[in-house]
Amino acid sequence: MLFSSISFLYYFLPAVLGIYFITPAKYKNLVLLLASLFFYFYGEPIYSLLMVFSIASAYLHGLWMDKAPTQRHKKIAFISSVSFSVGALLFFKYHLFFVNNFNSLFGTSIVPLKLLLPIGISFYTFQILSYLIDLYFGRIKVQKNPINLATYVAMFPQLIAGPIVRYSTIEAGLAHRTHSIPDIAYGINRFVIGLAKKVILANTLGEIGVLFNGADEKSVLFFWMAAIAFTLQIYFDFSGYSDMAIGLGRVFGFKFLENFNYPYISKSVTEFWRRWHISLGSWFRDYIYIPMGGNRVSLLKWGRNIFVVWFLTGFWHGAEWNFVVWGLYFAVFLVLEKFFLNKLLGKLPGAIAHFYLLPVVIIGFVIFNADGMGEALINLKGMFGLLNVPFANTETIYYLKSYGFVFILAAIAATPLFKKIAEKLKSYTFGEKTLSFSKPVIMVVLLLMCTGFLIDGSFNPFIYFRF
Amino acid sequence: MNKNILNIIMIGCFVLITFGFMFVNVFKPNADFSFAERRKLLSAPQFSGTTLLNGKYFDDYEKYFLDQFIFRDNFRGFTAFTKLFLLNQQDYNDIYAVDGNICKIEYPLSEKAILNAAQKLNQVYDLYLQGLNVNYAVIPDKNYFMGPSYGAPTMDYGKLLDILQSDIRNIQYIDLFSGLSINDYYKTDIHWSQDKIIGVADILMAGIGNSILPSDFGYTIKELAPFYGSLHGQAALNLPAETLFYLTNAMLEEAVVFDYETMKKSSIYVTDLFEGIDPYDVFLSGAKALLTIENPNATTDKELILFRDSFGSSIAPLLACGYSKITLVDLRYITTDLLGNYIDFSAADDVLFLYSTQILNNSFMLR
Repeated sequence: MLFSSISFLYYFLPAVLGIYFITPAKYKNLVLLLASLFFYFYGEPIYSLLMVFSIASAYLHGLWMDKAPTQRHKKIAFISSVSFSVGALLFFKYHLFFVNNFNSLFGTSIVPLKLLLPIGISFYTFQILSYLIDLYFGRIKVQKNPINLATYVAMFPQLIAGPIVRYSTIEAGLAHRTHSIPDIAYGINRFVIGLAKKVILANTLGEIGVLFNGADEKSVLFFWMAAIAFTLQIYFDFSGYSDMAIGLGRVFGFKFLENFNYPYISKSVTEFWRRWHISLGSWFRDYIYIPMGGNRVSLLKWGRNIFVVWFLTGFWHGAEWNFVVWGLYFAVFLVLEKFFLNKLLGKLPGAIAHFYLLPVVIIGFVIFNADGMGEALINLKGMFGLLNVPFANTETIYYLKSYGFVFILAAIAATPLFKKIAEKLKSYTFGEKTLSFSKPVIMVVLLLMCTGFLIDGSFNPFIYFRF
Repeated sequence: MNKNILNIIMIGCFVLITFGFMFVNVFKPNADFSFAERRKLLSAPQFSGTTLLNGKYFDDYEKYFLDQFIFRDNFRGFTAFTKLFLLNQQDYNDIYAVDGNICKIEYPLSEKAILNAAQKLNQVYDLYLQGLNVNYAVIPDKNYFMGPSYGAPTMDYGKLLDILQSDIRNIQYIDLFSGLSINDYYKTDIHWSQDKIIGVADILMAGIGNSILPSDFGYTIKELAPFYGSLHGQAALNLPAETLFYLTNAMLEEAVVFDYETMKKSSIYVTDLFEGIDPYDVFLSGAKALLTIENPNATTDKELILFRDSFGSSIAPLLACGYSKITLVDLRYITTDLLGNYIDFSAADDVLFLYSTQILNNSFMLR
């Protein structure tokens, strides 16, 4: 089920909220768990079993590790648990990739299984792994209540597209949490803002990609428009989803960590990745990069660590070579920045550094968005005038006019400008009152606007569902 | 007012909207049809274990929720307003309006579909029409006229005609592009207005080689109002209604239409249908697979076979003056292979394929 759907907004959510808040505290996790299982079953009936098995495995392995009489037994339990989780991820997400590449490499003709990618498997697997790894290293205590552990993994606000919530973040909340009016109001406001980012901005920007793919004649300008549109779309799509997840989490009494911090205002790739998909970046940092030695090793090993982490980051996003290339592409920039670019960028005015970062990110997302490296190269050639297309044509000018305002609105909304204006207004009594009164009005208008967009349009895919 | 009260207002508004729409939608009786969109609305899907497990059951439920949401048309109107006036988009779901004239962007050209259309005409010719006087004409959609001045993308009409002319064999082309203007079409509908196409009917008759011209006959113009064309509902904009015009005279009033599907006779204009789903169905009762118009007052015994889409419904009555019988075939609703069972092609003198660019660009619907 999608957050940005009528079934979620006007059937599932009110029903769950109603039941949840009339249920006594000790059964609230059970309500949340049952709701989450239905939420997942609605979109992924068969693979619900896979998720249940994954949770059961994590729970039983957790108990095994906890009861292990020796460190060696504990290690065996740990290896077994990680093997099960990673094995399921590799099998369901990557088997087609491995079989196809094996066939290409060795000239075999192994027929791959016809398996669809289970929604959200990358996210819930990483959550399970964080629980198991933290448990093994003694950073958390074992969760003996299966309902609480299942609630952590399957909790619908963050189940299918993150943010990747660490068990330690909500461990206390699973046992005991409070619900307050300010938290619920904040959560609702955050949810509706995320919904608007997704439905009004991301979906509208996504239309440009569809028009681009169906266009009779393309142009250099159209190639750039499509690339920039996708760069903005994926930000509003994913950060909108994270806003909705964080908002819903707050309504149910949980405080999830932020996942985005205006990444497009960054002045370097290093900074960009501190602001983009923070929960994934920190996961790889804490569970892969630092255990490999991080940057406290020789230069050669440090380079290896960077490339391993970014290979995995790319591969996590999708079982295609273009995702791997995308990850390694950023690794190259991170290394270059570490060696000399950061010093150079530090001396330049912020605006120039910013205009270094944006093309790097846009080109990165062209690689990311392509259906294979062949398409990525064609699109990059088109952007740089290496295809036999005009600079602009009637179609491009029309779509530029049609989506120009959306581009400007999205570009502004990707910066903290609105936030800063609000903060400035808050410093005046009149401004604060106006802001306070306008908040519910804006929330209602945005919610109704999103409802209209949802009823009207069928174009409503969540990009991060495929990961 | 303190912050807590504002927080309560915020929560109250959200609860009111989400719970309110949930209760209203649960208890609201289902609507069968959307007049604005000219389509049947979905009802709740039937439950089965198979559809539940393969995901179709909930997918269908999702579509059902969208179709049956209360105030659906108002929400669509609100969205159209938001997109066109707040987000400053040039069109809404490919539909734009200039001075109340609504137009749908037909773009891009599907060369495969045009080639398929050409092959379909050749197939019909080879099966039934060899030795007859066979012609074809193409009716441009409104975007041909409005697109360039509005800046909207338009399909490559030159290429469309080139493909047809190079791939269609033994069939003569009659040009209508130069005989039409945007004023010949309804503002809220895709179709032309019958009172504006007497000249087009003349071009067709002359192109076919029939010396009888529709403009030589007198007509009474009759009106039906308010007319909301098919684009009116799709545009979801609050644009004014129009008047539907139809031309009649003694000869047309005595002509008899026979419908092969219902095996019933009727008149050329069925005004009762003006209140129905599509008011344009007034002309020859709308979409029909196979019809004949018999004109007992014709001054000739010539017969015409007209392969057509919905544009043909309003021009066929004007062509009737030059024929004792017109057979109208809509290949969207009858397969080519079956035509020989119903039509005596040896009795025909003239044949005309008359299709709009929308149908040609989506010609895989021709059977």
